[in-house]
Amino acid sequence: MKKIGLSNFPNFDGKQKLLLTMKLTLMLLLACFMQVSATVYSQATKLTFDAKNKRVEDVLRDIEDKSDFRFFYQREQVNVEQKINLNVTDKTVEEILQQLFVGQDVIFDVREDNLILIKTKNSSEGGNSDSFVKQQQKAVTGKITDSSGQPLPGVTVVIKGTTQGTVTDVDGIYSVNSESEDVLLFSFVGMTTQEITVGNQSVINITMEQESIGLEEIVTIGYGTQRKVNLTGSISSVNSEFIESRPMTNSTQALQGVNGIYVNQVGGQPGADNATIRIRGIGTLNNNDPLVLVDGIQYNLRDVNPNDIESISVLKDAASASIYGNRAANGVILITTKTGKVEKLKVELNSYFGVQQATYIPDMVTNSVDYMTVRNEASFNEGQPVPYSDEQINAFRTGTDPVMYPNTDWFGAVFSAAPMQDHNVRISGGTESVVYSMSLEYLNQEGIMLDTDAKKYSLNSNVIFKPSDKLEFGAIISGSYWDRNESYEGSENVMERAARSLPIQPNFKAENGNYADVRLVTPGHNAFYHPVAIATEGSQNNKTQRVMVNFFTQYIFPLDIKYKVNFAVNKYDAYNHKFIPTTLLYKPEDPENTRQIGKRSRSVEQTNSNSMNTSFFQTLNWSKKVADRHNINLLLGFSMESFYSSNFDGYIEGFLGNELTELNAGTINMDVGGTSYESKLMSYFGRANYSYADKYLLEFNFRYDGSSRFAENNRWGFFPSVSAGWRVNEEAFMQNVQSINNLKIRVSWGQLGNQNISLYSFLNNININQGTSFNNNVVAGSAVTALSDVNISWETSTITNIGLDVGLFDSKLDFTVDVFDKKTTDILARINVPGQVGNLSGPITNLYSMSNKGFEIGASHRNSIREFTYTLGANIAYVDNNVDFLDGDIQFETNRFGNISVIKEGFPVNSWYLYESLGLFQTVAEVENSAFQHAKTSPGDIKYRDFNEDGVIDINDMRVMGRSVPKYTYSFNLNFDYKGFDLGALFQGVQGIDIYPWHNVSWPVYNGAGITKEHFANYWTPENTDAKYPRMSLYKRGSGINSLNSTFWLKDASYLRLKNLQLGYTLPTELSNKINSSKIRVYVNAQNFLTFSKYNVTDPEKDILQEDIFNYPSTKIFTAGFNITF
Amino acid sequence: MKKILYIGIVLLFTCQFYSCDESFLETTATDTYNEANWWQNETQAVSAINGCYETLRGGQIGGTSNFSEENVTPNSYNMSGEIALATGSHTPGNFTDFMDKWNSNYEGIGRVNTLLDNIDRVQMDAGLNQRIKAEAYFLRALFYSNLVNYFSGVPLILESPNFDEHGSLPRNSREEVISQVLTDLNSAASALPVTYSGSEIGRATKGAAMALKTRVLLFESRWSEAAQAAKDVINMNNYDLFPDYRDLFLPENEGNEEVIFDVQYKVPEFSNSLDNLLEVQMNVAPLLDFVNSYQMIDGTSINESPLFDPANPFENRDPRLHKTVVVPGYMFRGGIVSDSKYFATGFGFKKYTTYKDDVVQTNILQSEINFIVLRYADILLMYAEAQNEASGSDASVYDAINKVRSRAGMPDITPGLSKEQMREVIRHERRIELVAEAVYYHDIRRWRIAEVVMNSNALNSKGEVVQVRSFRPASDYLWPIHEIIIQDNPALVQNPGY
Repeated sequence: MKKIGLSNFPNFDGKQKLLLTMKLTLMLLLACFMQVSATVYSQATKLTFDAKNKRVEDVLRDIEDKSDFRFFYQREQVNVEQKINLNVTDKTVEEILQQLFVGQDVIFDVREDNLILIKTKNSSEGGNSDSFVKQQQKAVTGKITDSSGQPLPGVTVVIKGTTQGTVTDVDGIYSVNSESEDVLLFSFVGMTTQEITVGNQSVINITMEQESIGLEEIVTIGYGTQRKVNLTGSISSVNSEFIESRPMTNSTQALQGVNGIYVNQVGGQPGADNATIRIRGIGTLNNNDPLVLVDGIQYNLRDVNPNDIESISVLKDAASASIYGNRAANGVILITTKTGKVEKLKVELNSYFGVQQATYIPDMVTNSVDYMTVRNEASFNEGQPVPYSDEQINAFRTGTDPVMYPNTDWFGAVFSAAPMQDHNVRISGGTESVVYSMSLEYLNQEGIMLDTDAKKYSLNSNVIFKPSDKLEFGAIISGSYWDRNESYEGSENVMERAARSLPIQPNFKAENGNYADVRLVTPGHNAFYHPVAIATEGSQNNKTQRVMVNFFTQYIFPLDIKYKVNFAVNKYDAYNHKFIPTTLLYKPEDPENTRQIGKRSRSVEQTNSNSMNTSFFQTLNWSKKVADRHNINLLLGFSMESFYSSNFDGYIEGFLGNELTELNAGTINMDVGGTSYESKLMSYFGRANYSYADKYLLEFNFRYDGSSRFAENNRWGFFPSVSAGWRVNEEAFMQNVQSINNLKIRVSWGQLGNQNISLYSFLNNININQGTSFNNNVVAGSAVTALSDVNISWETSTITNIGLDVGLFDSKLDFTVDVFDKKTTDILARINVPGQVGNLSGPITNLYSMSNKGFEIGASHRNSIREFTYTLGANIAYVDNNVDFLDGDIQFETNRFGNISVIKEGFPVNSWYLYESLGLFQTVAEVENSAFQHAKTSPGDIKYRDFNEDGVIDINDMRVMGRSVPKYTYSFNLNFDYKGFDLGALFQGVQGIDIYPWHNVSWPVYNGAGITKEHFANYWTPENTDAKYPRMSLYKRGSGINSLNSTFWLKDASYLRLKNLQLGYTLPTELSNKINSSKIRVYVNAQNFLTFSKYNVTDPEKDILQEDIFNYPSTKIFTAGFNITF
Repeated sequence: MKKILYIGIVLLFTCQFYSCDESFLETTATDTYNEANWWQNETQAVSAINGCYETLRGGQIGGTSNFSEENVTPNSYNMSGEIALATGSHTPGNFTDFMDKWNSNYEGIGRVNTLLDNIDRVQMDAGLNQRIKAEAYFLRALFYSNLVNYFSGVPLILESPNFDEHGSLPRNSREEVISQVLTDLNSAASALPVTYSGSEIGRATKGAAMALKTRVLLFESRWSEAAQAAKDVINMNNYDLFPDYRDLFLPENEGNEEVIFDVQYKVPEFSNSLDNLLEVQMNVAPLLDFVNSYQMIDGTSINESPLFDPANPFENRDPRLHKTVVVPGYMFRGGIVSDSKYFATGFGFKKYTTYKDDVVQTNILQSEINFIVLRYADILLMYAEAQNEASGSDASVYDAINKVRSRAGMPDITPGLSKEQMREVIRHERRIELVAEAVYYHDIRRWRIAEVVMNSNALNSKGEVVQVRSFRPASDYLWPIHEIIIQDNPALVQNPGY
């Protein structure tokens, strides 16, 4: 029996780990630069050695340390004990091996995975490497696969208690000679080792299970990648597995459930991604959106096909984000798209069909008599004549004609369940010299609102060539095309019209196309804006296309210095076409008496807007391991980016009917407009990593950014960061603590910038759109309309972060804790300027500072009990926002009822600034004995607190009364797998946030609108004094006694929501194989299925600072779909 | 070959890194000027004065907002707006016009001041320079006088807006502001041309400055000065009454001999929505009291005249009735008006719509009718009022008022009226002649009759109450300064009673 020796077995890491992690996280960059074929790598990797009187075996070991190579040989065939002298510079591994084995009759077989088989010439006569292992005695063979069924190359198979063994080939096949009492050990780094007794089996197939995946994960960082264990910054990452576990209608949803990210997905309008993404709270009053980079290029999440996402990294602290300098203050989201792998052609199909319905629709009083009664009561309480006579009310009580006496449910008329479908195809694969991945997506989504829909087509092509061992280049070309329709007034307006409409207004369209008008007059509601007519007549079509071409090249210089250059163009074109029709309302009692709906003439408005962003960046990267323990990695880069936009719009009237809807079909009153603008960034950046023995980690980052948004002498900013980590578990004293497999303490400090303000803000601009006409001739006019501060500069965020990562029981249980202190200074804000100063908008100036302090805790647990596998994860983030400095000033935000929110030292930003409600007045005596509010205040009205005790309720009694930024955001997810079944659930919640709803629906009979059933049943009357709501009164057109901005209407908007629930089933391989498929999975899914919230005016997941309710409603989506892989 | 490649890449990188041209970061706005490249030529100066006129359209001088203040008079009613003010439910915080009025007039003032501070930097024709400055003085006077009409004394700012210097200024006295207004108007009148031609028609003229001066003096009850100022305008012999009262307010007759100053509109760029407001929204609806106040064709009231027929109440009336008000049962827009058409009160305003009685027209949504701020009939009536107050009802008073009546097709007023009787006649005439011209709201307040006429019920054509009105004499003769305005500048003292 010939025995084989496994070289350097305990340190059998490097390449194998990388391979494994690729399976797990599939990093683009890794794929580009690491998963190089062995030939390429072996040619590209140059080694330098100076060894004297060393054993060959030791030299081989050194090579393994310095490179990704592993050696495999049989001691019987190869003499590795021989001592040699070696002095080589910049030689390939093969050249070195030839020197090492000079005189020995050996050959070197460099295999796929950088495994180099060293064997005698006669042993390889079979012509391929398999014959090498097959030579052995009585063979046991088998195939090793991972849990997804993919063959695993490089798995070590040894006979327990011996050094005999082999490794699996590219197809995961092994063959080993053994006897029946032998126990085979199957091991692979990152996977659980398995022991199988041979017995009388001659075929043993093994599925390897992952272990400790978190530790070995590679995550994308700015301009590179890093092993997760070596991170010193605060980064949350998710991989494709997490993303693929649910169907998504847009890419923003992929961020939901990621530790430290707050995703507020507003509304379910097809094709509109109105999500707000916040990382570590609100850092500014300007743009709080994080920087989103797709494959390194600034991009728009809406245009990313969720199926193309391979991984997402969220850079939260300054240490990880400062390499993006002036745009990184709100955090950075790095998205890596899928690339091909060296494998056979693979085709994946992914389709789902679904139905959507609104999560929340206001439950309005649709009985006209009830509405009329309550509206009369409001006028009566104001001391005004009632709008509806008893006669009119009685007519509705007895009338049956739906046009004359309607009881219309307007929300029911405008909203209904709507279908959607989504189809994806991906083709991927590759050889040693080229890998490719191409995908196509088609989405067709009808909206729950009448006449809203969207279609999306997208493609992504990612091809990487490796023509030589030093050079590789590739291109990612992606494009998306959206075609959306909605009302000419826009969906929000239709929503507003529906919220404003009354049951007494008929929903009827006559044969001649005219709509029935309301017969009765409602004060505040002089004109009936028919919601159905506005939703369905006329048109608004929006087509957008985005194309990104991203070329990259890497060249490896001597000394292993990698030079990479990236050039990308991101082109966006949008076309919007609106046809405003003439739609007539007729009086039911007098059909000839018609009037037009709305105030706008029949016209066409067309807008074309374009943008083109170009990015050019290049990096030099050098890494070196010195004396075995010192790892050094240096990165230096330079980038130039420019962002150009332009738009053009045209308007025309004079259409002869509603039939022709092009600009050319109009005849009079043309109007055109258009402009263009540009901004630029030029940056130098770099990073230095040093680690000692993988125990002590140190990192320094910087970016030096020049931005065209500021005046010349304020243009350049320097954003440094420094971070350190201590992997305590690597210390000798921890080696006996078996339960802790990972323990790392991280500390970081750094600075980031935010330059995201409107262009040319530093200039005293002359607005030249202030024209007028004289004698019906239009003449140009100009004026200064805003003050400006020439000295403005970027906002600076300084973040200190302390983190702790713990992995227990082979990472079955993982914890991550981050505590951060983010201080933003020089926040750009527009100063309140008294109107007497020319009624100018205040200057934008570096005004105030605020802090966001908080913590993020993430925990996950994964385990398998026999065939039952489960994962549990939970995240919670706490942010305490505080305005630290405002120079004693107070900045007010007002609505039509006065102050509503405030920026004030010592309070969270945009805190609600309100009167305090003390409940409802119950008696006349109580009104008289309280501070004076309004001459008309009566029992049943809201009682406000006289804070300054001057006997009068006025603006001086307003105080900070609630917060508009959430305190806690949290999520948790559950995943279960059992015998092909998988069940996944994702919950998301927000705690500690207040919302101030007002306007139609939130307030009863507001400005001539209707009333909800809830309010109708709960308002104060002398008979119903224990009521939830005040007596009926007029909130806008009248005294407004009960519409002062007060805590009475402030609502707790906390919620917990089951964002996603999915049940899937993967067919057994035998079944899928019958149609030559490697995997077939079917699933059903529900989005936004359950919501728990005290807030019931609208869906709680909404734009908090937008106080009215006119968002397109959020939707529940139920889908069924399948994934098939060929 | 390889070495060349290396060197190339290294050079590219180092070049980019060390010596990249910073001019890459220079960008310029391509659709807006800034102070560095402004005030350089005549065209820019002209556009700057045009930008001052632009604020007139904004709603607080010549737009729908002033127009809607008719709803706070016994002439008309709006079921959807001005309710707080009409019903006396207003507070310094619940009516946004209190803020908008303040801000939009100061917007105009800021623009004028900026222009006056900078125009002398521009190399330009001296005559044009003088004229533009005079236009600016006129506009500044218009803005300040407008503010005084609502708030009384306001901070008097005569320099380019400056946050540090002007942000915390307190109110000046009414007299100080009026004094500056008169100074500005005198400066304007001395330099402005009497007429313009072509695309200049619509700019402030000498007559406009003098007419505004008349109004300012009249509103300050400086009777003899007002009478003299009115006489000065009359003596210019540049203006005359337009033959027909209805046609006077039609777009085809814009800029006619009666118009002294108007706010200019043009479809589609700078249109107004008066047609829609009056015909569809019914936002300004005539009240019964107003319709009843039209005399009979014989010059007596409906209570006195034998011509009045309750069955046909709208026959034999002052012809201005049917030229101002749409009345059910009569022809408008080519058809007989139905009872339900004008749903707010049963009546509609015809004046300031662009429809014709006998032409079938679909709804017009945008209108370019100019809004007249000052016209000759107003000058005549102001003269009559000022002269009557200053020296009693002399012949010139009769002459002025009878001119206006005769154009309307009404008989002369009865001779031999006392000063007090004449006062009532003039007040009636102003109400009828100048309705819906943003004047009567000021009239009822300066005459101190608002506490009577606005403490009443608003009635629709059937005599039903549509609004219960209230006016507090202690406070309501002036508007409050909006509480947000005071919050932004606490140095401002609130008007009494708020």
